[in-house]
Amino acid sequence: MNFIRTVPFVPQMTRLSSTANVEFVNRNPRNLERMRIARKPDGYHLEKPGRKYWHKLILTPGNRSIIAKVIHFLNGPVVEVKTSEWALQKQLYSPTDTCAYISLGKVLAQRCLEFGITEMYCDLEPQKGGKAEKFLEEVVKGGITLQEPEVYKKPNPWDQFRPEKPWEVHDE
Amino acid sequence: MLNTIRGARIAAVQLQQIRLGHRVRGNPPIYARSLKQRIQELNYKDELYTSRIDIGFPPIKQSKEVRDHRLQHLRKIKSDKNLEKSSRNLKLEINLEDVRKEWLKTTGPFHKKQIADHYGVFEHLYGEGYFLPHLNIDALYNLKDGTFLPVCAGNVIKPTEALEAPIITYESDDNALWTLAFTSLDGHLYENEKEYLHWLVANIPGNAIEKGETLVEYLQPFPLKGTGYHRYVFVLYKQDKTIDYALPKVTSSSALQDRTFVTREWYKKHQDNITPIGLAFYQSVWDYSVRSFFHNVLNAKEPEYEYDFPAPYIRPQEWFPRRKPFNLYMDKYRDPKKINEEYLLRKLKNEDPFKRPPPPLKFPNAQQLPKSMPSWLKLHEKKIRLGWGRVNDV
Repeated sequence: MNFIRTVPFVPQMTRLSSTANVEFVNRNPRNLERMRIARKPDGYHLEKPGRKYWHKLILTPGNRSIIAKVIHFLNGPVVEVKTSEWALQKQLYSPTDTCAYISLGKVLAQRCLEFGITEMYCDLEPQKGGKAEKFLEEVVKGGITLQEPEVYKKPNPWDQFRPEKPWEVHDE
Repeated sequence: MLNTIRGARIAAVQLQQIRLGHRVRGNPPIYARSLKQRIQELNYKDELYTSRIDIGFPPIKQSKEVRDHRLQHLRKIKSDKNLEKSSRNLKLEINLEDVRKEWLKTTGPFHKKQIADHYGVFEHLYGEGYFLPHLNIDALYNLKDGTFLPVCAGNVIKPTEALEAPIITYESDDNALWTLAFTSLDGHLYENEKEYLHWLVANIPGNAIEKGETLVEYLQPFPLKGTGYHRYVFVLYKQDKTIDYALPKVTSSSALQDRTFVTREWYKKHQDNITPIGLAFYQSVWDYSVRSFFHNVLNAKEPEYEYDFPAPYIRPQEWFPRRKPFNLYMDKYRDPKKINEEYLLRKLKNEDPFKRPPPPLKFPNAQQLPKSMPSWLKLHEKKIRLGWGRVNDV
């Protein structure tokens, strides 16, 4: 106990900071899209609309089956459901009638929720009272939002408004 | 020349633009590459470096009997009058549970692989390897109110719901041995390319996870604040024989650094004996339980991050900027900290920590500002009263 113990000089700032890295890179490719910071393929405002999305819902009616897909603007088809899959074909009478569209909507909604894709862009304009309209109804009833959130643009210091940051919203 | 003549006139006249002739740059439109082609060229990846290897089990081929059985079933359906009647009257309702069960057996593995590629799971676990998850894993987190939260392929689960190890079920015969590894792909605090092993159970006989050797005890997920969504992956491997992984045992009281893990290196070492067959993953975002984890379990300060946006482009400052409001122009080139300091001092002047703040005025600009005040300053005051702009950065 008879020794002089030198205490190293600790600068004041370490009291406020933690020991983790200053920079952190999140490798999850879907993170930026979830945080609304990722860029959508923009700039085609003079073209026919339908190119600005992260995920898009596509319905392809065929002669012997209907295909419902969710495509990503870079990675292509991400979630696919066809009425010609044995799982659906087993229970349906016809692979292309209205019941098939309704069932397809339910199954697509369930799979998208399981895969973590709950919001997607959709530019289908179905006829009133038609099969595609029933399909979209089932998709929305299953819990999918057919509208993607706007890209969060960081406000410059001179901007008028300061919109709410998506990552600071926590439900208790 | 044109400008000097007009300079003598009154300022109300708009200055005429001097238009320069348009010069064609690059290839003519018929030969030029489109934006899509240019992006493809930029993102071009050589096949030699991007070819992937299937490290799992080969896909199960359908035998002839199965196909015949299915054809027979379809013929039976087509001749069923009741089914047709209910289908035409829109009363036919399919059983979603049955659909899911069949899907898991038939096209499920391929769809799971597709979505895992979309989330970059195989890329970060095995690099150039991938596998088709033929066996379905049911990982259920017990939410204490009687319900269970399943882990599928990418659904969002809060860390408060994942505090305890989930109940894992899968189909197996009693003789087979399995290994379950639970890693976080994005959560490493110091090294970006590495993962943290949250749970490792080896030599599991059949279905019973409790009877397997827990080499690394279960740890709750801790996605850092402000970093967004982290992925957490369960991989089930089938073992040929009893394997002794040379990993030191990690308990819940040992350091976090012991859990540093690179799946690719570990799998390379043991690839002759184990094959991946099951996959389940979820995403998780910051929650208050992560804060209590850092404070109570790790005894460390909790780090908080914010996305590093690129700085806005501000034109180089000119000596004589034309038609720019001088106060706003010069504020762009000042130190933002000094500007915010002015606003903060102004705010603190009217604040009393012991009194409640006064309620906000309904018409804040109804009070007139002194007539002697210059117009730019009046506008500045009006903006502060309305709560526009820099006053919110405080």
